[in-house]
Amino acid sequence: MKQKVLLIIPAYNEEENILNTYNTIKNYNKKNKTNYDVIVINDGSKDDTKKILEENHIPHINLIHNLGIGGAVQTGYKYAYSNDYDIAVQYDGDGQHDVRYVKNIIEPIIKNKADLVIGSRFVEDIDTFKSTFARRIGIKIISAFMKFSTGKKIYDTTSGFRACTKEIIYDFSISYPSEYPEPITTAEILKKKYRVWEIPVEMNERVGGISSIRAWKNIYYMINVCLALLAIKIRRYKKCHRV
Amino acid sequence: MSQSLTITLILSSIFLMLLTTYVLKKGRIPEKYSLLWYGFSLIILLVGLFPNIFTWISNKLGFEVMSNLVIAIIIGSLLLLTMALTIMVAGQKKKTTMLIQEVSMLKAKLEAERK
Repeated sequence: MKQKVLLIIPAYNEEENILNTYNTIKNYNKKNKTNYDVIVINDGSKDDTKKILEENHIPHINLIHNLGIGGAVQTGYKYAYSNDYDIAVQYDGDGQHDVRYVKNIIEPIIKNKADLVIGSRFVEDIDTFKSTFARRIGIKIISAFMKFSTGKKIYDTTSGFRACTKEIIYDFSISYPSEYPEPITTAEILKKKYRVWEIPVEMNERVGGISSIRAWKNIYYMINVCLALLAIKIRRYKKCHRV
Repeated sequence: MSQSLTITLILSSIFLMLLTTYVLKKGRIPEKYSLLWYGFSLIILLVGLFPNIFTWISNKLGFEVMSNLVIAIIIGSLLLLTMALTIMVAGQKKKTTMLIQEVSMLKAKLEAERK
């Protein structure tokens, strides 16, 4: 059976990249006979993102107020759940992610080997953009905390390129952290005893715009994520069951 | 305790009570929270009226002067109040997030149907 796949693309001030991102996906669909649907969540952008989305008939939801990355992505999961998608893929609107890898990260889910698949920059040695030295150290520290709180080693804890099953779509639509969502949800998913896989992907350097994690915020980011992971260690978790 | 401190405490208590009554009358805070503020002003009033009890307590607790106990009580209650407010704000944030998401999704659906 063919599974319905949705790419969730959060966009905040992405007027430079969003059309390009969408066209790349559309062309890929045409060339490879794939059927990836797209939903762009416009998180109250102050630039022309909204206009570009409307003029080019890109499927989108305009949030009536800025929610931040967590709230925007969660809207995508809610949309995926109410439209009965089998697989949801989180995909950046800024050109960092490569649509050719979507096939790889949804494969373990289609084969029912994993529930959450993370597109990882650090699993294998691919010559690719792996972000700055300081940030790699940061990701290593978060990885260590993740191991401590969940018992499982995740190499690329902050990757925003991930795919998940219907169960997790439901789970995320019920509860999703508003800040630092990637490492926190990965840890929570592990605690809920879902199967998490990492698949090597290549990522591009950002084409335009500013990353949501700014350099000077990194230390604050680290402290918060580590604290959140410690909190997850002492919490109890249950899977959210669909009614 | 000096006489002027007694007067200051009693006046502060009356002021706090009047202020609470005022915002309550204007309907700016629910009754349930006004109770907390009346409680505060009552404690301040009691300290002003019966300083001896509080001097005794503060000695037992190891405070050098009774006024330090008063300040410690106030700071402690404010900390607890801030904690309670932080919890409330987090709850409110969750609710607004959900509202914004649901309204935005509905709006998108409506616009799609209209076309």
